[in-house]
Amino acid sequence: MSELQSSLLLKKQLAELNKNPVEGFSAGLIDENDIFRWEVLIIGPPDTLYEGGFFKAHLYFPKEYPLRPPRMKFVTEIWHPNIEKNGDVCISILHEPGDDKWGYEKASERWLPVHTVETILISVISMLADPNDESPANVDAAKEWRESYPEFKRKVARCVRKSQEECS
Amino acid sequence: MGNCLKINNSDDISLLQGGEISNTQDFAPDQNDPAPIYSELLQPIFFPSPSVRRPVSHLTEEEQVKIAKRIGLIQHLPIGTYDGSKKSRECVICMIDFCVDEAVRYLPCMHIYHVHCIDDWLMRSLTCPSCMEPVDAALLTSYETT
Repeated sequence: MSELQSSLLLKKQLAELNKNPVEGFSAGLIDENDIFRWEVLIIGPPDTLYEGGFFKAHLYFPKEYPLRPPRMKFVTEIWHPNIEKNGDVCISILHEPGDDKWGYEKASERWLPVHTVETILISVISMLADPNDESPANVDAAKEWRESYPEFKRKVARCVRKSQEECS
Repeated sequence: MGNCLKINNSDDISLLQGGEISNTQDFAPDQNDPAPIYSELLQPIFFPSPSVRRPVSHLTEEEQVKIAKRIGLIQHLPIGTYDGSKKSRECVICMIDFCVDEAVRYLPCMHIYHVHCIDDWLMRSLTCPSCMEPVDAALLTSYETT
């Protein structure tokens, strides 16, 4: 897969998302001349602690996409067991398959070249609703989520409020 | 300086000796020195694991065997031409529609892809991107039963 093919594939996805937006997020580029760096705005999923929030995140695609996964990083502050404090998203489908660096993940849950911005974001939105306790990226958030839920809720609510202020 | 005449009829061991013999090297034409940077750039790159990227000369013996086996397996997967079937209209890797009579690779699970699209992926991971079926296991089973 050449760099040209990668950029064509990403352009196609961007055009498709502009034409038929998917509920729950909107997508665009950080810099309109660089198809490999996307900015997405995720709407906090209804009936979750994140409801009402607007969370901005960046996706960095490698030139080898779709053979290799992009990296995803929240720009808006967010408190979640599977998102590092610096915003890096840690979900299995963004991990490359192969020799078991992450022993607890099945190959089927790892990166596949059929993943698109849409399927990645659907996974991320479902992760917001349903944190994965087994592989926390933010250990403090995971501990709170398990052991002191009211405090976890309070921190998330603060992020939601802050995200609303940043967006307005 | 006294040994500079010997340089042409003995092995060039300058790399082993470090920088001390740079004087003698000045007298020897550098036709024997490979340009390591260029030769590395021209080498094919392999992925013993999806996240491990190595030029062919840097592969360990174990990795060479692994890759040779993988290439062998991929070559056993049949190539056909797209017959216009509506069941799979596009290659889900590059999202481009198949053209009738275009070469496609059939995996044991019967999913089809452009040959170059799927081969690039199989060189990193031997799984079908659509159904995640391990290609090698399916291929080995099909050998046993036929």
